[in-house]
Parts: sequence; structure tokens; C-alpha cells
Amino acid sequence: MFPQVSLTAPTRDDVERLMGWLEDDEVNTSWYGLGDDGQPLHAGYVPSHVLEGDENDWDRVFNDDNRKVFAVYSSEGEHIGEAQLVIEWPLLEAQAFILVGRKDLWHHHYGTISLVSLLDHAFNDLGLHRIWVDVPEYNKPALDMVEHIGFVVEGHFRKAHRRGDQWFDSYALGLLAEEYPRRRSRLMESSV
Amino acid sequence: MPVITINGPLGAGAVSIGQMVAQQLEMNFYDRLIFTQAARLIGTPVGAVIAKEQRVDRFRDRLGRFLQTMLERSAMSGVSGEPYFGRGIENLPPETFMEMMGENNANRQISDKEFIEATEKVVKDIYEEGNAVIIGRGANAILENMPGTFHVALLAPLEVRVQTLMRRENYTREEAESYGAELEQAHENFFRRFFNYNFYDPTHYHMMLNMGQMSPEAAAGVIVHASSDIFAVPGVTA
Repeated sequence: MFPQVSLTAPTRDDVERLMGWLEDDEVNTSWYGLGDDGQPLHAGYVPSHVLEGDENDWDRVFNDDNRKVFAVYSSEGEHIGEAQLVIEWPLLEAQAFILVGRKDLWHHHYGTISLVSLLDHAFNDLGLHRIWVDVPEYNKPALDMVEHIGFVVEGHFRKAHRRGDQWFDSYALGLLAEEYPRRRSRLMESSV
Repeated sequence: MPVITINGPLGAGAVSIGQMVAQQLEMNFYDRLIFTQAARLIGTPVGAVIAKEQRVDRFRDRLGRFLQTMLERSAMSGVSGEPYFGRGIENLPPETFMEMMGENNANRQISDKEFIEATEKVVKDIYEEGNAVIIGRGANAILENMPGTFHVALLAPLEVRVQTLMRRENYTREEAESYGAELEQAHENFFRRFFNYNFYDPTHYHMMLNMGQMSPEAAAGVIVHASSDIFAVPGVTA
């Protein structure tokens, strides 16, 4: 059985916890690594800047129609990660990001069910047509997870993803609105 | 600048074979991304582009397009009574009209010209960059006579394709057979309509492989071997 999660609007406490997770080498290594300044990189915003900024800075990040950011909570009410959609409205498509920051919950299907919740929102509530993800080759668990959900490899690029001094292959995987219901139902049946 | 194109009906294994070939030859791999890039060029959701390849043009679709054109003309000319239908077409129940036209913007119609120009541009850009495996999307037709290309077609018995669809899409046998047949028809129509091209004509390809007779791994090995030979011979072109 899959665990249950909910997606909520992030709070300042959530962003502080996210910063803590990203300081863990194992977490940031599987995410975007470290920047030139040695600080962990994150998708779309710099957590410390948001926390140091004012309400306008907060709104620019968390009330943006083109980037939806959610805190992921477990059914026990614990903050466990972050989910994002970066939306291109004219194309009705979005890039999805999922980070499970709680390492003790890795490999317990929290990433899978968080992404399913995000896809439900993207297809059912926002009416988007295509969701895609970009997965570097070194993140094999993430690649397995998105393929298991039903994403298909739309493209694979040699040495397109840089981490530190090394270049890695990158996979672009996509899922269309009309493909999702059947693949979701197959996934849910597999968890029983 | 070697580019390999692999073409085949849905469920024949082109995608997994293409990925194996790309990995073994250290090439980039392009599948549906061709259409997502084409959609980006046109500025439309990718569904509108995919529909050009995968939708069977039924009478209902043609009627819908006809009605849309007539209504647009009517609106532009400011005439409330359409000459083809007389007064009253504007009173067509909205739900009927939306059903015919598809109310989701992802299903909006794009012109054949928009479609073919964008797809050709994407495929030719990939060709210029080189070192790529491209799955379907008319790439073999677009690049048919270009030097440094190697074109492969896959054939597969219905049963192989049906099994793939049942496994991948959670279809019943009946659904898989029906969906597979519809897509195959759409695939053939796509090549005929946009490239004046019979998909099953072997003269368009360097080789055709029967996936009822070999594993995907074997097919990938054959393609890697043959394409390496061809690309290694100076002056040999498709």
C-alpha cells in the first residue's frame, strides 16, 4: 500500500526545514548539488533569500501562477518534502519537481505518491495537458520511479547535465493527460 | 553527422530498441520530444501536434472543422445567417458544438502547413547537430535522401503489438486490438497525407526487421552493426 500525503502551501517553518535537508550531502547530491559558492542548489528559489526577504519576496515565490510550490506532508502531519510545477500556460504543460527531504522515508514510496498527488492536481485541477521531468542518469531511483508511474522517455541526451566537474546524461520523460488515468490505475492496483 | 531513424507501428518496440542503439553508439535519443519541440515552435499544446499523427480523420472530425470554418467566416463577415446552413446555425446547442470541436485547448486544430513546417524544422535541426537516433514522427521521410542517415523500419505481428499495449496501457485484449488497429490506420494515413509515402514500401529503408522473429536486443545489435559499417564507408549515403 502506498502511504498517504497531502500538498499544502509552504510556511516559513517548512522552508527552514527544507534548508536543513539540503545541507545534508546525501540529499543535495541526489538533488542539484552545490553551487560555486559551496551552498546547496535548489529548484526555482534560494530558501535563505526567501526567509531573509520581506512579504513581497515571499509572494513572488509562493504566489506565482507560473510556479506552484507545495510542501508535502505525511498523513501523520509531518513535513517530508517539497513538490513544484513550473507551468507554461500557452502550451498547457509543466515541469515537475519532487524532493523527499526526510532520508529515513526514502524508498518507502513517498516520492511516488507525492508525484501522483502533484499529477492529480496538474491534470485534474489545473487542466494541464503534459507534465515532464528531467532526470540525470546518476539518479537511478528517480528514473525508476517516474517510469513506474507511467512517464515515457521522450528524449535522452548525452552529457547534458553538469554536476561539479562531471557531465552526465539526462533523460526527458513526459506524461500526457490522456495517458494518465490508465497508468495511474495500473500503479494503484500494483500497490494493493 | 550520423543519424539513425527507426520507424514502426505502436507496440513493435521501436522506442526500447532505439534507446539501446543510442546507448551503444553513444548518441542522443529523440522520441516524442520531436513533437513537443514542434508544439513549442507553433505555440500550441503538444496534443494538437500528436493528433496529426495519431488521430484517424473521421467524418465527425471533418464535419467539425467544416462547421468551425463556416462559423468563423460568418463571424468575420458579420452575417448571422450562414449561407450554407441558412439562419439558425448560430443556435446550435453549445454542448453539441463543443463536443464536436473538442473543448480542451489541447485538442485545438493546427493547420497541416504549421504542423509539417515545425516538424521538419525540428528534425532538420537534430540532423544538423547529428549523432542521434530518432523514433518515427516522419523523420525517415524528412531525411530520406540526406547523407549520413540510416533508416530502419520495424514490422511486428499483431499479437506482439497487442501484448505491448495490454502491458503498458492496462488495456483489455479487446481494447488493445481496437486501439492498435486505429493507431495503425492513423500511422499509415499520416505518411500518405504528409509525405505521399507508403510506410510499408521497403525501398524507403536500409533495412526492415520483423520483431516477431527476434528480440529487441538482437534487433538493436543488428542496427548497431549495420549502421556502423555504413557510416564507416566514405561516400556512402542513404
